[in-house]
Amino acid sequence: MAEIMPPESARCTFFFLYDGSKVKGEGDPTREGICYFYPEETPIDLQELLCGQLAGVGRCVSELSSSPVRILRMRRSKYAIRMKDDFFWALGCSEEVPTVSVCELLDQLINLFCFYNGPIRQSYQLNSQVVLAARWALYLSHLLAGTSELHHIFSCLRTIDSTNVDPLLLLKAALILQACQRCPLVLAGCILFRGRVVSTQMTPDLTMKVMVHESETHHKALKPNGPSTSSSFGGAVSSTTVFLTMSELQYLQSAPVDRELKFYSTPNKDALPKKTRLSRTLSDTPSSESEPSDPSASQSPLKVSSFSPRLSSSDNSDSVFSPAPSQSTANPLHPASPSLEPPLSNGKKTSHEAEEALDESYYHSFHSNGDGGSRIHDEGDVSALEENSSHLNGADGDAACGTVFDLRGTECGNEESYGDKASRRGNGSAEGYQAETGDLPPLSGVSDNADEAPLVPMTLYLHRVKGLVLALLVEPLFLSDTASMEEVYHSCLASLNGLEAHLRTISPGAPAAPGLSIFAHFDCIQSTLTSNLSGRPGGAPEHPFVRAISLLHSHFCNTETLQEAIIRSAGVAIYGTRSVAQETYFLQHGGSLRNSGIPNHQDSAFSLPRKARDKLLKHGVNLR
Amino acid sequence: MKGLLIASESAEVLFHWTDPEFQQNIQDKYGAAQEEGQGPPAFEDSISTLFAPIIISCSTMIDRMGESYTCFTTENNHIYVLHQFDECLYIAVNGDGEEGEDDLKRKIYVMKKIIEVMFGMVTLSGNLLRKELRPQDTEHRARLWKHLQSLLETYSHLRESDQSFLVEAVERLIHPTLCEQCIEFLERRLVQQLNSSVERAGEEVLHAFILVHTKLLAFYSSRNASSLATSDLLTLIIMAQNMYPSNIDVDDPGPEDVESTSGSGPESFYTPEPSPTDRDSSSSEKPVRGSTPVFEFVDPDIQMAEDSLQTLEVPPPDPSTPRRVFLEVSQKEGLYPMMPHSMYCLPLWPGITLVLLTKIPTSAVAISVYTYLEAFAKLEKRLSEGQEGSSATRGQPTIHEIRSKLDKFIKALGPSEIQSAQLQNVWTEFKNRAFARGGPGFNKDLIPWCKNMKSQLCGVYRQCFFIDSGSADIPRRLSPSLQERAQSMVQEKLMDWKDFLLVKSKRNITMVGSKKYSAYVGKILQNIAHFYPPCIGLDPVILTYLEEFPGLIHFICVDRSTGQMIAPSLNITERTTSELGKGPVAQFIKSKVWSLVGTTRRYLQKGYSTVTLRDGDFYFCYFLWFENETGFKLEAGEMPILPDDSAPIGMLAWDYYRKLLRYYSKNHQGEVVKCYELLTVHLGVIPTEIILQHCRQLASKLWEPSRNPLL
Repeated sequence: MAEIMPPESARCTFFFLYDGSKVKGEGDPTREGICYFYPEETPIDLQELLCGQLAGVGRCVSELSSSPVRILRMRRSKYAIRMKDDFFWALGCSEEVPTVSVCELLDQLINLFCFYNGPIRQSYQLNSQVVLAARWALYLSHLLAGTSELHHIFSCLRTIDSTNVDPLLLLKAALILQACQRCPLVLAGCILFRGRVVSTQMTPDLTMKVMVHESETHHKALKPNGPSTSSSFGGAVSSTTVFLTMSELQYLQSAPVDRELKFYSTPNKDALPKKTRLSRTLSDTPSSESEPSDPSASQSPLKVSSFSPRLSSSDNSDSVFSPAPSQSTANPLHPASPSLEPPLSNGKKTSHEAEEALDESYYHSFHSNGDGGSRIHDEGDVSALEENSSHLNGADGDAACGTVFDLRGTECGNEESYGDKASRRGNGSAEGYQAETGDLPPLSGVSDNADEAPLVPMTLYLHRVKGLVLALLVEPLFLSDTASMEEVYHSCLASLNGLEAHLRTISPGAPAAPGLSIFAHFDCIQSTLTSNLSGRPGGAPEHPFVRAISLLHSHFCNTETLQEAIIRSAGVAIYGTRSVAQETYFLQHGGSLRNSGIPNHQDSAFSLPRKARDKLLKHGVNLR
Repeated sequence: MKGLLIASESAEVLFHWTDPEFQQNIQDKYGAAQEEGQGPPAFEDSISTLFAPIIISCSTMIDRMGESYTCFTTENNHIYVLHQFDECLYIAVNGDGEEGEDDLKRKIYVMKKIIEVMFGMVTLSGNLLRKELRPQDTEHRARLWKHLQSLLETYSHLRESDQSFLVEAVERLIHPTLCEQCIEFLERRLVQQLNSSVERAGEEVLHAFILVHTKLLAFYSSRNASSLATSDLLTLIIMAQNMYPSNIDVDDPGPEDVESTSGSGPESFYTPEPSPTDRDSSSSEKPVRGSTPVFEFVDPDIQMAEDSLQTLEVPPPDPSTPRRVFLEVSQKEGLYPMMPHSMYCLPLWPGITLVLLTKIPTSAVAISVYTYLEAFAKLEKRLSEGQEGSSATRGQPTIHEIRSKLDKFIKALGPSEIQSAQLQNVWTEFKNRAFARGGPGFNKDLIPWCKNMKSQLCGVYRQCFFIDSGSADIPRRLSPSLQERAQSMVQEKLMDWKDFLLVKSKRNITMVGSKKYSAYVGKILQNIAHFYPPCIGLDPVILTYLEEFPGLIHFICVDRSTGQMIAPSLNITERTTSELGKGPVAQFIKSKVWSLVGTTRRYLQKGYSTVTLRDGDFYFCYFLWFENETGFKLEAGEMPILPDDSAPIGMLAWDYYRKLLRYYSKNHQGEVVKCYELLTVHLGVIPTEIILQHCRQLASKLWEPSRNPLL
């Protein structure tokens, strides 16, 4: 009788991917179908047993119910299951982990794999199992890496501790990202410091995926195989092909002003965000052509109304950094963004206009895709754009300041053809995507499988300054566009250096003694966690808190109408409250918890909501 | 889409129940897998084929990993809950979202409880139970399965509609004077008269109770009876309801209703029958006494001396035939589970039933059998843990005491009609191995013999208690005329009360003054109008409490030490057309109450004894606390934290609260500890302080008759 030896983490005892298509015949050994098994040192007969039994029983149940199995529970463990075509994923953990969290973890893992490797079946056709096994291992270790139990419960992003960071630095980071977006080939970006998010323009899901590449280990692992590249920027810059789902792409391509998703946006007093364009320097042309952003916005599932643009007019304190928005359009002779460094050289003014044109046509054409009526508009735009962009290139040529991009070898054949198809027409992705579906290059990512959501290849560009990393999702064209690349590189180099220097000097800050109360505040929209927990694993006073949170979080997830809860055992009372945007948990130590358990309005447990409101206000969380 | 399946380890179907939808689904799936041109297969074959891979995978996992599946959930929210009890695997399925994982697990445990009450200690032998649940004779099997299916359906119906089965505690009719009178009547008149009659054929009435629908009007236990466990009482109520379904959905039955319900009479009778011998070879395999033990590796059940039982006739379904039920008995020496009783269910009027539980003359045998079974089970356990010799045999009573007692026991069985030759043989062999000088003694090799002894003892038990009424010469039961007399005595006593009782059982705690009530409900409706259109009815609120507890919508209070509950009635039937109309709001509140009970159980399982929830427009509270006999509130102790796969919290299938009380009492030696629970539903607009005050008042008032405004 084999004993299950739970490996280090209770969060993942087993993970495997099993390909049922390899084990069809009677005599086929089960091991043939095992694509990856974690922990790898598991004896092969145990691997076979688990894969064979779970996949078998999963198929049987899904046939009975005409629906794939999602969760499989055993007496001492539970498994999140994914079944797709002949593939069978299972991720097992101990029973304390909330079921929602295991399922999320498995989904993250699979999505992560697809993000870097494209559709699953295809990547197994193109790559050896050993190579892909190393990647599964990498992704899994990244997701399991040492953050607190709370992070695991909420599957949230690791962020820098904002309490120790000057808000101006966060603003600066946000502005760097905005500056990069001036290049139309740049979709969105994020800035990471030592594996933690400083600022991001992407959805939490996407940010999480991008963060894996940032980790040095992954960098090394991918180099020999992946289509990654480094330029002559002294190894500071690298890139790799990534695959976005259609919904992710649509989100990124929706109007930038609507997706300004700032990390540490101070909660706005007036809850309803005005549709302000102030945060975007370059697309403020009040033209009808900017309107197509609206339909796209409605397509974007992640657009949440409570995202208030950080740089709304009320934030006057930021005016030093804030590009004076209206100026750029009103008076092109006085270029905006006075404080953005480095100031672009002579081509500045015209590039502004060119980019503006690019912006507009770009969105327009994407959203009027397939709509014959707007074709004429497109043509016009494009011609104007080509004119402009040639101008831009000329200007940039001057600005190159002798930096030579070594772009040879940066383009793999696939990207070349992709680039050819889309040529220099600024309206990249939509056109490019169509081109792809046409002639299906092997890595196109457009699925050959009907029910698999199509994946669109994009490029992840990374610029590293010591511990700081600027990660940008760019059109594949970007790599071949020396001028754009150079411009992006130089426009943010100094800022990144400055930011890095500042962040480096910030001491981690002695974690404030938790005192009498512990709280955890989870922002569901940005997927971030604020807590005064020390983060040490297994802290004695924290365990009951974490245990209660895992129960309450599951309850909140399963009961939409539930707003708040107080639960009490003999030793502790925990208060939990949630809204669409957040979940907050609060525990107060001390006090007279000794009681009989009989209802008593003087019971300290019932004053928790009030205490939580008071205490959390000090941490910038408003529960009113 | 619902279903429940019991299978043996070899994937043989021992019982199945499916609703029409699930049955259709199975047939479709199986039909798809079948080749063309074949007729539709028997349903049992289809279900067995489709579930076989799951069942086999289950036993593979147990064998190789010591793990077993407990639950599958699919993306379209079908839930499969699995649980292995000894050699039987139970699988419960839901595909319509009406039952959650906890409900299905509870259903499985309740099914097991029902089987235990019906088959007693036979459930301790996998082989015997398999034969009981799956009789060879298909007609017999169909009848048994139909009976079990209908019990399961009755339970499911009660769990969904009856608050006492929701919280698994008995609800009493609240009418102190009448209750007292009835108890006195049962004691002084009925039980005394029955127990002094010669027609009782050696049986002795231990308990007598009157049920109005599912509620208890009066309960009397004779002085020398042990108390009846709540778990057993609830199961008996299910059985009584199954025999005489009270059609509670029909409100205030008119004359035509009375007629139709009375027509529903006793259901088809089932009494366990001897399993016919399936192998004629068994007699030839019978070892000759004294020969070398050639049957060591032979399936022990083959040697059961049951072929001789074949001659016994299946008793005719006679309404006066009692049910054999196996209930827990506590005596000075300890707790004896599954002791045989006879249950007489006498319908008084539709919805009102008199139940008599009698002790049967041979019940002492059951105590002996249980003692031996326990001794052999303990021995087996120690041996399989690797203990040998004297360390394996220590314990109370010692193996030598068992030896001499068992010798006497077998000797005493000798002249009776019970076939004990096999038991004798196996016991002789056991003794040779265990006690003989120079013999193998107590080591691992004795394990199969322990098992064999257990099987033989179960076989004897089965003979003693399953088929006694079959020996037609001396019918061992209260004579039909005695039963009739009992029936008419109680009818006479309650004649004037019957209509009142039927109404009272539906409005146990009721509103007083309906005008005030409607004004109150109107206010509630205004508050929750955005949920539902107005002009809908809400029945559950107790008017007596209106002024005292503004904003209170519903409550349930349970005394877990006695297994009793109090709650306002939740009448949500179509025909409850009060001045307010019908009740989707009441239905909504009902569903909230039902899910609240599930939620609080989950928290209780993880050690939380106080829970308050703000959910939509409602505020829910749950409290569990302990008191001593004088009503002094005891300090909240640390509650046990149970794993996810532990038995469902409740009192019907597995008495969580009894264990909890025992656990808690450890720190309160010499004190009688009582355990209470209170659930409340308030409007969310009421300030929390006031809600908590209400809870406190309810908690302190409800169980004190002097202060309880209901009494």
